[in-house]
Amino acid sequence: MTVDSQGTATAGPQDAPGRAAGKSQTPPPPSGTKEVLQPSRGRRSLPSGLLPYLLVAPALLSMAVLLLYPLIRNVILSFQQLNRKEFITRETVWTGFDNYTKLLGDSHFWSVTIRSIVFTALNVALIMLIGTCIGLLLNRLGKKMRLVLSLSLMFAWAMPIVASVTVFRWLFDEQFGVANWVMRTLGFSGYDQHNWFETGFSTLVIILILLVWGSVPFVALNMYAGLTTVGTELYEAAKMDGASGWRTFWAVVFPNLKSFFMITTFLEIIWIFKAFAQVYAMNQGGPDRGSETLPVFAYIEGVGQFHYGVAAAISILTIVMLIAVMSFYFRLILKQEEEL
Amino acid sequence: MSTTTRTPQKLRTRKPITVGAVAKNLSALVIAVVFVFPVYWMFSSSLKPQHEIMTKDPIFVFTPTLDNYTTATGVDLFWTYVQNSLTVTIGAVLLALLVALAASFAIARMKFKGRKGIVLIVMMAQMAPWEVMVIAMYMISRENDMLNSIPMLTLIYFVMVLPFTIWTLRGFIAAVPVELEEAAQIDGCTRGQAFRKVIFPLLAPGLMSTSLFGFITAWNEFAMILMLNKDKESQTLTLWLTQFQTAFGSDWGATMAASTLFALPVLIVFLFLQRKAVGGMTAGAVKG
Amino acid sequence: MKRKLIAAIGVAGMMVSIAACGSDGDKKDSDAGKPSAGGSKNLTVWVMDGSAPDAWMTEVNKAFEAKHPGVKVKVEKQIWNGIQEKVTTALSEDTPPDVLELGNTQTAGYAVTGGLADLTGDKAKLGYDGWNKGMVASSELDGKLYSAPWYAANRVVIYDKAAYKKAGVTPPKTRAEWIDGLKKLKAADPKSQAIYLPGQSWYILAGLIWDEGSDLAVKDGDKWKGNLSSPEAVNAMNFYKELAAFSNAPKDKDEGTPQQSTDIIPKGGVASWIGLGWEAGGAIDAMKKAGKTADFGYFPIPGKTADKPGSVFLGGSNLAIAERSQNKELAKEWLALAAGKEYMTKYAVATEGGLLPNTDAAQFKPAAGSFAESMAASSVSGKVTPVTPGWANVETAPNPIKDYMTKVLKGADAKSAAEAADKVINERINQQ
Repeated sequence: MTVDSQGTATAGPQDAPGRAAGKSQTPPPPSGTKEVLQPSRGRRSLPSGLLPYLLVAPALLSMAVLLLYPLIRNVILSFQQLNRKEFITRETVWTGFDNYTKLLGDSHFWSVTIRSIVFTALNVALIMLIGTCIGLLLNRLGKKMRLVLSLSLMFAWAMPIVASVTVFRWLFDEQFGVANWVMRTLGFSGYDQHNWFETGFSTLVIILILLVWGSVPFVALNMYAGLTTVGTELYEAAKMDGASGWRTFWAVVFPNLKSFFMITTFLEIIWIFKAFAQVYAMNQGGPDRGSETLPVFAYIEGVGQFHYGVAAAISILTIVMLIAVMSFYFRLILKQEEEL
Repeated sequence: MSTTTRTPQKLRTRKPITVGAVAKNLSALVIAVVFVFPVYWMFSSSLKPQHEIMTKDPIFVFTPTLDNYTTATGVDLFWTYVQNSLTVTIGAVLLALLVALAASFAIARMKFKGRKGIVLIVMMAQMAPWEVMVIAMYMISRENDMLNSIPMLTLIYFVMVLPFTIWTLRGFIAAVPVELEEAAQIDGCTRGQAFRKVIFPLLAPGLMSTSLFGFITAWNEFAMILMLNKDKESQTLTLWLTQFQTAFGSDWGATMAASTLFALPVLIVFLFLQRKAVGGMTAGAVKG
Repeated sequence: MKRKLIAAIGVAGMMVSIAACGSDGDKKDSDAGKPSAGGSKNLTVWVMDGSAPDAWMTEVNKAFEAKHPGVKVKVEKQIWNGIQEKVTTALSEDTPPDVLELGNTQTAGYAVTGGLADLTGDKAKLGYDGWNKGMVASSELDGKLYSAPWYAANRVVIYDKAAYKKAGVTPPKTRAEWIDGLKKLKAADPKSQAIYLPGQSWYILAGLIWDEGSDLAVKDGDKWKGNLSSPEAVNAMNFYKELAAFSNAPKDKDEGTPQQSTDIIPKGGVASWIGLGWEAGGAIDAMKKAGKTADFGYFPIPGKTADKPGSVFLGGSNLAIAERSQNKELAKEWLALAAGKEYMTKYAVATEGGLLPNTDAAQFKPAAGSFAESMAASSVSGKVTPVTPGWANVETAPNPIKDYMTKVLKGADAKSAAEAADKVINERINQQ
């Protein structure tokens, strides 16, 4: 598990080994690790063959019961017609692939899918970019300023989603919004009663701002924490070599934090793609269904329109898409596993 | 974070005030303001008298009042919601920590068949779209008479935060040098003792950051609770938050007061754990 | 969704806490409804926030508990937002609430699912013959009775007497006079809004469509189809647009966002608006709190001609019993009591005539110049949305009628936008 040994300095004690090594080019330390590990296991008196399974069992069991089983149920539901009537009478009406064929032939489904993908990509790119910049900035600030900035970030991070959506809706309110006031104060005309939720696109822009605002602190603060593990000597060396800030970043920071970027991007893609409360609560997917993303679409079809079977099918398709997009990551991470 | 001992002081140039330094601090200040503004707006609105909240031009100077807080906390069953929220959240986090510790130890430190598969499962589990699974979850709960049940909700939240917890803790455990554990074992500790005495203390940041994450997730959860627990006595504070937008108009002041109170525990946990947790979160993240 | 139709005149009655009624049963709520060892039972009643003045409810339950020793009535207030989801899931459970309040436009949608108890055999006990015929319609489906009508209400125009006086405008009787007056109001005070009319108040549009002799959807053979693109309905929409031109209200929201009664009207600058009794009450209350005095007058929405007021949506609620209720007989007893003449008379008094009770015999004589008076005057033109179970599907968010209105108000061609909306309605209305 090379990735692990590499990030050690952050979490583990200061004397942790192999801190500066890039993950892919350092098989030696981890393999060394493994060798050390082996004998220690050999000494164990317990039937060590069974122990790992026992340790893992509770986690697997609970995930099987409360995650896998509902997921399977979800798959089963997706092959049924389950509208309000069937739901209340608890009838089971099998309709085969009807829900899927209906969805795949529905242009709305496809436009929502494309919208979700573009929205996620844009969002994650912005989050990573801004987060990284702020993280770098944090690293170069004075103590006091750093405290101010990181506190501010933490406030944003700690804000409950439900509360933050409410506040954002209000900031961009047509009648009482601060955003309109700011625009007026800055001297722009036409912001007396500007409707920020005029179109699906403008609504998504507001949601994007909310998501970026809410996600950047995670990236920025972790980026900063990660930067503190990059040996300052490396920095100094780069500086001495007369490397520009840009080059320092690519030559020193990036390789060292490559796995940080990878994992954070991975998490952000999942989180943004799945983001529901933020999108739904902002404008219920409106206007005219123009800001629906896949999870919101599923919710509106299911809980809102009482087509639970269709909603289940949407969620299954969503999962399939996510897995397809993520398979790249899975492979990367599994490869690291092999190296252990 | 600035209190962290590993602050890289050397990175700062010691030159006197330069244009660069001014720009740096200025942009930091602007960013700080931008990020904190919505939070500030929530807080300040919660202190405003009713008629000063909905105004065309925002009011920045006002006489603060606690009326909104009185309204917010005066709701029927308020303390039941508090109790339920705390039970569910803390229960889920503790359970997740316990189960994840065992699992992540095995994954990080032991070699066994199927290990890779388990890592994959944990990663996939992280992607579970919980919001769209509410119907299936609802039907399962309905069949098993688990609706309006706090334990059921706790279990769901536990599984919700479990994958991330395993993933993160695994990274932390792997980061503890094996030599330390080994040394302990040479000293006559059993493997279990070695874990307790050596690894566990070093895991503190990991435990904190994962509990922080779990806390936020469970505390914020909305879709499940709305669907599964309709009995008022079994609901949590998330319901309370939306309660002030009723037929009689939205009581924004009370909503904001409730939001502030709702954010407070998370913030406290944050500030309390920040020293370790934020760094820890990276460690987890960096570690995949 | 008729969540806006929340009859809540009896703000005064809210002082008495409803919690008193059912607190004893709280601990055992998961067993609610099941007879327990001591022979005591709980009867759970879901009412909407604002429907029942607390004092009245307490009285009903006291009387009921006195008649049925060992039974506790537990009243749970629900909010309209998201109520369809909640009722749907509740009806599917083993221990649903015994009695539920349902919006009149939604009742048929639940009746068809089999989730509501058939009350056809209990007509006599419930006082079927005395019920207002217009209100019963929404309680019945295919000749069977699924609920008892409870109350109804409709909207009227609420105006600021001072603003009207200043502009020299008197309450209009016809559409032409109405528009004329609005023009004068605008001229007299260009800064304020002659009328506040949000873009998505579709119940008001429905009234205008009915005025044209048309409907939101029509039956075509054994199927229903959306009718917004009919020439009559398009005319109605155009008139709505004409009215909305006097307003600065958001085009993509209904009257609940921001809440017109409490967030808009009390701020001033609005000469007239269209609302329900509880909204008028809410505005008066909010103005009092802000140190202002409301001076409202009321008139029915003007019709095309002076002889008949404009059509209005007769919104309201019914009380139904869940099919899976464990206490059906008790629930019927409760229903007969609460929706019976004696308590409906008290209900009408408690709501000061702001809500029409289910029987004319219980009608409250409203004070002259009151909201209730205008409401009663226009209720003769009261109508309901198409009576088909599929209608409930049309109302679920995102409501195609609302989206259609926004589009037209923003300049889209009414006819083609209506055709698009009809397509969505056709899809939804024929589903169950």
